Amino acid sequence: METRYYEVAGHRFCVSGEEDVFTLMSNYEPFACADGETVFALDVENGDAPEYVEEMRQEDEGQTIICGHTAAGEAVFEFLRPVGSKRPEVERHRWGVTAGWLVCSDDYSQGRLITTGKHEKMAIDNALMIMFALATADKGTVLFHAAVVSYKNKGYMFLGPSGTGKSTHASLWQRYIAGTALVNDDNPVVRISEDDTATVYGSPWSGKTPCYRSVHYPLGGIVLLSQAPYNKIERLNGIYAYAALMESISGKRWDERIADGLHQTENALASSIPVWHLECLPDEEAAKLCNETITQ
Amino acid sequence: MRLKKGFVLREVCGERVIMGEGLGAINFGKLLALNETAAWLWQQAQAMGDFTVEALAEKLCAEYDVTADEAKADVKEMIAEWQKVDVVE
Repeated sequence: METRYYEVAGHRFCVSGEEDVFTLMSNYEPFACADGETVFALDVENGDAPEYVEEMRQEDEGQTIICGHTAAGEAVFEFLRPVGSKRPEVERHRWGVTAGWLVCSDDYSQGRLITTGKHEKMAIDNALMIMFALATADKGTVLFHAAVVSYKNKGYMFLGPSGTGKSTHASLWQRYIAGTALVNDDNPVVRISEDDTATVYGSPWSGKTPCYRSVHYPLGGIVLLSQAPYNKIERLNGIYAYAALMESISGKRWDERIADGLHQTENALASSIPVWHLECLPDEEAAKLCNETITQ
Repeated sequence: MRLKKGFVLREVCGERVIMGEGLGAINFGKLLALNETAAWLWQQAQAMGDFTVEALAEKLCAEYDVTADEAKADVKEMIAEWQKVDVVE
């Protein structure tokens, strides 16, 4: 067994496991840090299914996460990867193969990931994203589903449902707007400090684009994207800004403490950071219109 | 009738908003903005648990300067809206 420490958005956590676990974790290496106090600790080990009661199922980007709890009150998350077949005889397996079970203490500070030997990397990444999001939700920190670019020393974040074109819009900035760099393509972290300033951080999670950068920028603006046959941008205010943020932040909102923490951060962001709605085509003009409007 | 479980009243950017957070309400998928009176009625209904139009109208009369008939009409209208978006049962 070995233990390694990582720091994401100023929050330290550690992972313990056999050597082969760490060979699957190269995306975490830019975030490696010295040991010290942690917000959570995760042990990774092989093992059998825990007994638990299902509360909720969430489907996201081709995978299913079942949430529940054990009789002792620990939180359980089971990660399922769908099998690709539509043949009726495998229909009963339509929820797929289990990649692992995350079992954690009710404050999410201690977790155990039980792996099955299948899709182990997916299980490790899922477990760490969930623990990170839940253990920091009451610390002014949120894990977004978004793409982020840096431009003139600020970070700009693009939101939208899967398939809207967040990555495409980020790559249009990189192609047509000099001085733009990709910070993260799928799961950046935003943290609000005590004086209400917001900072966006790269993370070890970046979807299909390998972009694992331990960098951070003051958050300059947030843009909700939707596809349209034209390019148009407008400012979103108040509850409209809040709603755009809320839909891009996953969390176990039926846990009241988590919901309270996320709400406070979302509310502070909606009140202090400009939020925009960009209806756009996937073209140069969209990137330029957006850049000129939001970086003024 | 009663307010469905899992819905909470929160303050969002200075406005009062109902959102679904609990199990069973999490897929509500929208925010419901309430004016001050409606938010006050929501809190009364929450506190009562099981409530009726008459009981809420009575509370409204005691708190605000309205006649019994006006209060009843207002409460009825409010509850009809809540029924439409399916936050009461």
